[in-house]
Amino acid sequence: MISVSNLKKTYGSTQALKGVSFNIKAGEFFGLLGPNGAGKTTTISIMSTIVDADEGSVTIAGFDLKKNPLECKKTIGVVPQEIALYNELSAYDNLMFWGSLYNVPKSELIKRIDTTLTLFGLFDRRKDKVKTYSGGMKRRINIASALLHNPKILFMDEPTVGVDPQSRNLIFEVIDKLHKEGMTMVYTTHYMQEAERLCDRIGIIDNGMIITQGSLDELKTSSKIKETIVVTFQSVSDETFAKLVDGSRDLKKIDNEIHFYTNNVKSDLSKIILKCGELGLDVLNIDIQKVNLETIFLNLTGKQLRD
Amino acid sequence: MIKIAIKDLKLFMSDKRALILTFIVPIALISLFALAFGGQTSTESRPARLIIADEDKTDQSKRVIAELDSAEEFDVTVVTLEEAEGLVKKGDESSVLVLHAGLKDSIEAGSTAPIELKYDESKSAEIGILKGALIGKLIGIVSIKAMEKKTLRDFNTKNPQLDSVSRKEITAEISKNFSGGESKNMQDSMLKSTPLVAEAETSPGLVQAVSGTAIMMLLFSVVGMGASLLDEKQEGTLKKLLYSPLSPNNILFGKMLSSNLISIAQLTVMFLFAWLVFGLDITLNIPGLILMIIATAFACSSFGVFLASFAKSRQQVQGLSTLIILIMSAVGGSMIPLFLMPLWMQKISVVSVNYWGIQGFYDIFWRMLPVSDPTFLTRVCILFLIGMVLNTVAAQLFKKNVLNLA
Repeated sequence: MISVSNLKKTYGSTQALKGVSFNIKAGEFFGLLGPNGAGKTTTISIMSTIVDADEGSVTIAGFDLKKNPLECKKTIGVVPQEIALYNELSAYDNLMFWGSLYNVPKSELIKRIDTTLTLFGLFDRRKDKVKTYSGGMKRRINIASALLHNPKILFMDEPTVGVDPQSRNLIFEVIDKLHKEGMTMVYTTHYMQEAERLCDRIGIIDNGMIITQGSLDELKTSSKIKETIVVTFQSVSDETFAKLVDGSRDLKKIDNEIHFYTNNVKSDLSKIILKCGELGLDVLNIDIQKVNLETIFLNLTGKQLRD
Repeated sequence: MIKIAIKDLKLFMSDKRALILTFIVPIALISLFALAFGGQTSTESRPARLIIADEDKTDQSKRVIAELDSAEEFDVTVVTLEEAEGLVKKGDESSVLVLHAGLKDSIEAGSTAPIELKYDESKSAEIGILKGALIGKLIGIVSIKAMEKKTLRDFNTKNPQLDSVSRKEITAEISKNFSGGESKNMQDSMLKSTPLVAEAETSPGLVQAVSGTAIMMLLFSVVGMGASLLDEKQEGTLKKLLYSPLSPNNILFGKMLSSNLISIAQLTVMFLFAWLVFGLDITLNIPGLILMIIATAFACSSFGVFLASFAKSRQQVQGLSTLIILIMSAVGGSMIPLFLMPLWMQKISVVSVNYWGIQGFYDIFWRMLPVSDPTFLTRVCILFLIGMVLNTVAAQLFKKNVLNLA
């Protein structure tokens, strides 16, 4: 359904994309996971035709993006990161306007607006001006406005930023429903839990490059790390941390914690406890965590998703 | 394009502040300027107050007062000199016309009449207008009489040998020539006046107030409308519009269309208001008025979009536009009527949109030119040309400065 090949983009002296490539099948839910500034929004912006790539190609539903941008636009719906609505208009008028841009017949558009508003739990507030809505309600209308032309593909660029838990769950329910109905989804986020919950496949992007991609299981299986031993100290000086690094273990200091990445927890745990005893360190807690996207990302990039 | 325009019109109608700035503020300013420029509901001019102190108290001085009082330009009040000077010093009156003792003798002798205008120097502008009106009138009343007396005296001196019958006949003939209709003919023959522009019922002050203010306020309004595209960029809706199948040109022209429609509405409301409240007869040339409103709205809204296309934010547009619009309005005749400006300024006024719009409205309401008149049509064409050039440049600048989201 979507083929992205070797995308490159430079803004001034900053190389935002250094050759991004991935493929997405029809009906697939693809997550683009990465920290802020990794290149997620630039990738989505190129795929949405509003930014030109310096190099590379994109094919959407069989249409080459450069040759047939209009056909590509008709195929996709885009939920931008910012809430892009007219605050002085009602939710209904907003949806009527955004839907009309795709030449949906008026009678059909009215039906779709009613259905979508009901789906997002905002039918009763449809006549109210958007400026009277909460942040979560605005987010819901923001998503609803991208669905009115029944796109085959939906691009969502961090659609849940700043959303309350109630709205977040409702958004997830709607997204799940659309996905089950066959809509292809491209979802960017820096929330690991969202990617784990929603995505069939995940591409991890950092510094303008896809550093790995696959299903969550594939990523976990391919990871050389199976568990993380998190040891919490009263405090950890750089000197102490240097003494713990013996070259054989993969570890990282985060605040007053040291994360030991291991594929043999039984053996490494006893070694760590012994080492801490030798150094006379005051251990507050020891936690063993199964591998997850955060661990995989941390291990691949050396930094946390929130960095 | 039409969808964008309809959306913008809905947004405009829901924005009370924009509605007030577009319609109420210009109406208030037009009212103020119309009253200041003499655009009352009645087109008759108000007589000037004239305080006269008669120190001569002769039949001649009474004749002068009676003639001044009968003139429609003056509203005469006779008081004592002491009382008159008190009124001027207190600021209640601007001046007093003093007919000094000896007026009758001077007229009889054909010498300079002892008439003096005592005035408050701080009101020199008002006095200037009064003096202009008084001189003309006094020449008619006093100087003609003095000339008659001098002519008779000269005649008698130069013709002492003439018999009494002939002298009486010739003297009567001279007096006849200096009196009544003959003296009026003499005054008229001193300055031949031919009206080039037909007298209109509409006050030029009112035309100036309505067209000058309406165009200046329109320029301020349209800059706000042009800047709405920058707001869209700032709020992310522009990016969302670009995701849709609309082309950037469609978005831009949609904005221009809504800006044009609102501008036409604004000018129409201003002229309707001037018609209803100040009696500006908009029925004089309805096709011409419609054409001029459309042309002015097009040029002004293009100017607003052009100014907005330079900037990166609404704040930048507002700072830049306030300065430019005020200068252009001052030069173009929105603030001060063009004929009061120095010649060099009148020459450069043609570079402003205000000039062409105001002159076009003068053509309709004051010069009474028909819609087919070449002068009028030239102004319409120039306004459309200005609009097209500004729109073309604005479109390029918008693509470079605003639509480029990279």
